[in-house]
Amino acid sequence: MAEKQSLRVVAPLEQLSAFFLLLQQGVWLQAQIGCSVASLLTEQFNIEEKYIVERITTMFLDFKPIDDLETTYVKDGSTLALSSAMPGLVGTTMRRGSHLAAMRGEISYQNQQQVVSGAGRIKIKLFNMVMTELGARFLAHGVCLTNGELDTLLSEMDDSFWQSIEFASVDDQQVDYTSLVNRVRTGITDEEILLKVEFTS
Amino acid sequence: MDKILRINMSAAGGPTQSTEKAGEFAALGGRATTSTIVGNEVPPDCHPLSADNKLVIAPGMLSGTAAAISGRISVGCKSPLTGGIKESNAGGQAAQVLARLGYAAVIIEGIPEGDDLYKIHINKDRVEISVDNSNKLLDNYPLIEKLQKEYGDKVAYMSIGSAGERLMASASIACTDPELRPTRHCGRGGVGAVMGSKKIKVIILDDAGCKNRPPQDAERFKTANRAFVEGIRKHPVSGEGLPAYGTNVLTNVLNEAGGYPTNNFKTGQFEGGTKISGESLAELEISRGGKATHGCHRGCVIQCSGIYNDKDGKYLTKQPEYETVWSHGGHCGISDLDTIATLDYWDDNVGVDTIEMGVAIGVAMDGGLLEFGDGVGAINLLRDEVAKGTPLGRILGGGAGMTGKAFGVTRVPVVKNQALPAYDPRTVQGIGVTYATSTQGADHTAGYAVATNILKVGGDVDPLKPEGQIELSRNLQIATTAIDSTGLCLFIAFPILDQPETFQSMLDLLGGFYGIEMTGDDVAALGQKVLTLERKFNKDAGFGPEDDRLPSFFQTEKLPPHNLTFGVTDEELDQLYNWD
Repeated sequence: MAEKQSLRVVAPLEQLSAFFLLLQQGVWLQAQIGCSVASLLTEQFNIEEKYIVERITTMFLDFKPIDDLETTYVKDGSTLALSSAMPGLVGTTMRRGSHLAAMRGEISYQNQQQVVSGAGRIKIKLFNMVMTELGARFLAHGVCLTNGELDTLLSEMDDSFWQSIEFASVDDQQVDYTSLVNRVRTGITDEEILLKVEFTS
Repeated sequence: MDKILRINMSAAGGPTQSTEKAGEFAALGGRATTSTIVGNEVPPDCHPLSADNKLVIAPGMLSGTAAAISGRISVGCKSPLTGGIKESNAGGQAAQVLARLGYAAVIIEGIPEGDDLYKIHINKDRVEISVDNSNKLLDNYPLIEKLQKEYGDKVAYMSIGSAGERLMASASIACTDPELRPTRHCGRGGVGAVMGSKKIKVIILDDAGCKNRPPQDAERFKTANRAFVEGIRKHPVSGEGLPAYGTNVLTNVLNEAGGYPTNNFKTGQFEGGTKISGESLAELEISRGGKATHGCHRGCVIQCSGIYNDKDGKYLTKQPEYETVWSHGGHCGISDLDTIATLDYWDDNVGVDTIEMGVAIGVAMDGGLLEFGDGVGAINLLRDEVAKGTPLGRILGGGAGMTGKAFGVTRVPVVKNQALPAYDPRTVQGIGVTYATSTQGADHTAGYAVATNILKVGGDVDPLKPEGQIELSRNLQIATTAIDSTGLCLFIAFPILDQPETFQSMLDLLGGFYGIEMTGDDVAALGQKVLTLERKFNKDAGFGPEDDRLPSFFQTEKLPPHNLTFGVTDEELDQLYNWD
């Protein structure tokens, strides 16, 4: 199987917001699957346990709220959504270990089944404060986008983004906006590219 | 707040007024006051738009004081939408001003003869009730703009738009915000139609020359207020999430949970959800020179509102709330924020409840009036039909239930004829219990005070036992009813849930102000007392167990992606009010 093309972008941190819609919709990341959610976040994405406890207080795995990160396992193709504490009765109900957890009834993540370990990928969605605080970290890790998704992302970025970026390359060859768009639009729509964004402060 | 203003619109020779001592209401407020007066004085079997109904307006127990975030005002009456008792509350400036004027309540009775339209001007020296037919059929924005030339910008206004004058059952009462925009609404239950039936267009509240209400124990009150503010600011929900993104921060989370009712409750996830999320809304507001952080009244330390500008950077509306973004967004299949903001503007201008109107439009879409996702069509319905009072507009303005009947729709999401808010009860079963059993009709805020564990209302519940859902809902409704009486914004529930010292500071605020000792038990007792009274009113108005139910499609239609139905039985629902 051929290696994915790699798009590397270096941009100032204030341009992180250009990726907010993408981060909410979810990005695919290559990861070792079959591990616990806690292990995935701390060991593979280097997120401090303290941050997870204090800030990522609401999590969904495959649309189900999670309570115990140690006994919830990610499988290939899983979707993991990360959020800070939410307002409202339902927001509180969705919190990890909420005293109102009974109100969510059957949708809570339960009944763990044995999952296969190995290389795979998961979709990460980032919401609210967690998006602003962890977005750069996940984008630096590298996210997989199809040409179609990248085309949409490029179309939604305004001129100021491209005027502010410090460097962009595809497979180590520097590109400008026009040539990148041409490359994306003439490529196969479903073909994937690995996007890595490094933010400078 | 030592007096009550009573206005009789039926009096021979024109409206009369009298002032009486507040008595037991001097130390009450908000929902406790409105529901007690309605329960004691309004015949439960009266027609809501008849002279027998009364409109009761009451600031909260801490309104008009220096207490932070104490600006909720309650309006009570028999609801023309539900036919039961109604308390509808809002932010804005009205509560603070009315409380500083010294009124525990304003009670408006009767209906005047003839077609004249009245305005009521209240200041510290007098109450003036006068005819002003030049305001007829003006909507809220032009009305307030006009009135400012006469009464200035140092007052608070409570007004109805054309929907209230036309007695639509979804009509709201608008309260102006600090910038004098009519953006905060007592929205639910058609309270604006009751004001319209009494031929009152606007109440102008002027507290010039008045001071904050003095606490009994100034030092204790001041210390408690400081701790209360600190607790609110340091909590991640009230101090970070709500100020940054507003209540619409919930869209992504509800969508992810599969509990975001989409296309009139057909699915639990909306593909366009991220485009209308709080995160996307805040980005857009900031990029257009608006604000993602803004208070609805002075003294608010959460600031969950904002300013939404149009593409040219001109003010369009305040930041739409989560429920509004949902009702006009996902519920109608609309994923364009400008469309939703325009609908929010028209809701506020015409004076209708954004939940009821959005749900009604979605039900009409289900009935074939428009395609789901037709944003232009939705704006046309509100601007060209509801705002002009056409027959179609009157059907929509009559609420989701009426709209469902008009278009032969079987999936009509209402309880006691009031539209369900933005949380599907098949995914979050516990909130379905509250929707079904609330005295107010389907209402997400009826069981909102999430700090039941601290309030200890009804004891602790094991969160791992599903059968605890009835008990949880009961406890939530009792706690919420009490908070609704304080005038404090319900969003204080989050810091008092997680921070015991913030809960204590809230009790100390009340205790320091009234010179009494308050405990969690006192708060719970107040909530239960008010609920008992409301329940009795509804029983006497003809409500029975069969009205404490969700529409049957929630039991029969599975909601993707979890494919669940509502599983709480009728017998279990009937256990909610286990004390009466």
